[in-house]
Amino acid sequence: MLEIKPIINALRRSKVGAILLLIQIAITTAIVSNAAFIIQDRMTYLQQETGYPEQDIFSITVMTYGKDRDLSQQFEEDEALLRNLPGVVDAALSNAVPLSGSGSASGMGLKPAPEPGRNVRAGYLFGDDHMLNTLGVELMEGRNFASDEVIVTQDPGKVPNVAIVSSTFALEAYPDGDGLGKLMYMGDKPFKIIGIVDKMKGPWLKDDRPDNVVIFPYIKAETYQHIIVRTEPGQRATVMQTVEDKLLAAYDKRVFTNVITLDENKRQYNASDTLMLRMLMVLIVVLVAITALGIFGLTLFNISKRTRQIGTRRALGARKSDIIRYFLVENTLICSGGLIIGCTAAVLMGQQLLQRFSLPALEFQYVAGTAIMVLVMTLVAVIFPARRAAQISPSVATRSI
Amino acid sequence: MFLHYIDLGWRSLRRTPLVSFLMVLAIALGIGITMTSLSVYHMMSMDPIEHKSSRLFHPQLQTMDDGEDTWSEDNLPYQLTYQDAKNLAEAPFPQYKAAMLRTGFTVHLDNSEIRPFIQNTRVTHSDFFTLFDLSFIYGSAWTQEQADAASPVAVISEELNQKLFGGENSVGRQIYLDDTSFRIVGVIAPWETHMKFYDVNNGAFNSQESIYIPFSLIAAMDINTWGNSNGWKFQNIRSMKDKRQSEIFWLQFWVQLEDEAAVSQYGDYLMSYMAEQQKFGRFNREQLEYGLRDVNAWLDYRNVVSEDNEVLVALSFMFLAVCLANILGLLLAKFMRRAPEVGVRRALGASKRQVFLQHIIEVSMLGLIGGLMGIGIAQLGLWGVRLTQEYYSPLATMDLTMLLSAPVIAISACVIAGLYPAWLVCRTTPATYLKTQ
Repeated sequence: MLEIKPIINALRRSKVGAILLLIQIAITTAIVSNAAFIIQDRMTYLQQETGYPEQDIFSITVMTYGKDRDLSQQFEEDEALLRNLPGVVDAALSNAVPLSGSGSASGMGLKPAPEPGRNVRAGYLFGDDHMLNTLGVELMEGRNFASDEVIVTQDPGKVPNVAIVSSTFALEAYPDGDGLGKLMYMGDKPFKIIGIVDKMKGPWLKDDRPDNVVIFPYIKAETYQHIIVRTEPGQRATVMQTVEDKLLAAYDKRVFTNVITLDENKRQYNASDTLMLRMLMVLIVVLVAITALGIFGLTLFNISKRTRQIGTRRALGARKSDIIRYFLVENTLICSGGLIIGCTAAVLMGQQLLQRFSLPALEFQYVAGTAIMVLVMTLVAVIFPARRAAQISPSVATRSI
Repeated sequence: MFLHYIDLGWRSLRRTPLVSFLMVLAIALGIGITMTSLSVYHMMSMDPIEHKSSRLFHPQLQTMDDGEDTWSEDNLPYQLTYQDAKNLAEAPFPQYKAAMLRTGFTVHLDNSEIRPFIQNTRVTHSDFFTLFDLSFIYGSAWTQEQADAASPVAVISEELNQKLFGGENSVGRQIYLDDTSFRIVGVIAPWETHMKFYDVNNGAFNSQESIYIPFSLIAAMDINTWGNSNGWKFQNIRSMKDKRQSEIFWLQFWVQLEDEAAVSQYGDYLMSYMAEQQKFGRFNREQLEYGLRDVNAWLDYRNVVSEDNEVLVALSFMFLAVCLANILGLLLAKFMRRAPEVGVRRALGASKRQVFLQHIIEVSMLGLIGGLMGIGIAQLGLWGVRLTQEYYSPLATMDLTMLLSAPVIAISACVIAGLYPAWLVCRTTPATYLKTQ
């Protein structure tokens, strides 16, 4: 009923057009399924929850060159100034800004060095008892730092003895989930875990442990320093505009750079992923359009070559729907061939990408999804020329004989 | 004859405007997308110092205990400890060598004219300028005496000189780095490369530093790095002095070695140096190991070209292939429809070769137009790249090589696509078509 045999016979007589279509469909399937998979992978990465109310937080970097003031004292005053600004929820001095791509990390030991023992890598932040509130994260277990636990010093010998950690870190260090109250070591210095935060990301989203974060109640004011500020919702832009001048008015032998929002910081860190995402999207859209156009063009060409043949068939009693069906079946046949090759190529290409680059393994549903999409697309591209073919009058067949 | 073919080609293109437009569009899109990713790739993988990249080497020393890991693929540390960098720099061999690190200062002139600003600074030996072929607009590098005395002297970039002194000869003038007054001894011309190949730790495509000061100031001024420090064992670091004596890796080092003999001689030197250091009990290893890569090997080793970019280049060439298959189909349709006309030409005496050539020239014209339009599309694409990723701004441009290769790739692609249709059409037997006339 589907007249497959005559279609195949006809195809054999004009191989080139069919082969070209087949190649296009195969390459399109291979590229689109892999690109769609990479896009999905990056989307998940870019849209992940960081645990922070990013839209309300910004940070300032300050480099102090004046030597006539005590830095710790100056920063205490700055923090007080910032916390009292209208629209500001809280502010805290920090050695690093989360999500910014720059910060410090270390292996946190379960035994004091140099005793051998397991180390768990974590990014760490230094901040006072306002840090949690400034970052807008909530404690899941335990308590915040008490203000007398915060060590403000320039003496590297003095260190705090407590820490607040992220739940991911706590679970990796103490897999039984009983990390609260336990000890961990940085070098030979012990720290008691007094609080666990449900979710917060470290400075590097692309770290192999992006969720491992430790906060120490420690302020060692440095000439190069970050201040993190959280504002009331909607107040951030207003606060950011004036903050530099206000701080400079308090003390001017310093330079403020990088007054930057947390989401912008994240955007910059992830710019290359966004770029990849956009390039791939453009590639897919243009590719699909070009392939559709190609199929459209080739079918038109086929029809114009076969005008007389179609006319003859119509004259011999074929209905319009028969003609349309003929082209649809022909196209589906070619397309299936292309899809078989394309899916194989997609899987092979996925394996190559997996081997050569740090990309995850291609999931099969992307290949299947692409195959279905390509099939639908080719059918849509063929239906208009096929309908036009069906309009060919039977008299064409008789005219020039 | 050639001009005649061009004329024929042009007429033929104009006769079927829609098909011609589709073909040009396909090749333009293919070339546009390919050139966008290829341009970024080209700029990323370009040799940053072509005339001597094979003579500049970055040594690596394996000074970790057995069983310790670092991030590199061959487990050699990327950087050197301060003591090793200093010792290697003070060694008699080879002639040109420089240890270095990146730091930064607040720059001001101690007056209210210019608001203080932060500037990245490279702390290095004076050979730095010789190694990397930097030319001086004013003055010169600091002298050995100044380096030995840890004098506060600085070489600045032309750009900074413009900003601070309006571009005039500033040798002898003072600038303040934090609260220390430095005397300018030289102003260097802009770097010829966009790549910070000598220190790829914090972004190989960031701009080069604007201030250069003597290496001896690291100890004299307790300068810390603004780049990466990587440790492998616990050491109690309480001061910069501790850090300088520690096993932390935080300095880069480059040497110039003229030939194979010098390279292997230096390799031997590095081995004997490590053996000597091991005797001091610094590290505990069975097998000593060193690395000595030239500029291009080093950039490859440090994965300077981003993987994403390589994936994109591969994908866009496949995309170009799809565009070609498309054009091939359209050309086939177009040429075959013209078979009767070709039949007449053949009957009138045109040889197969001439017919073939005529059609190849026609597709080359398609390629040329498509290639030129492709450059336009690529510019649009590169603009998008610069908009998304500011860091790529110096990379997302087409240099002359890329501008020229766009039409070349386009034309050769079109010729490849046109070979089969042109061959098919030139085989036309005149008789078949003359019969029905």
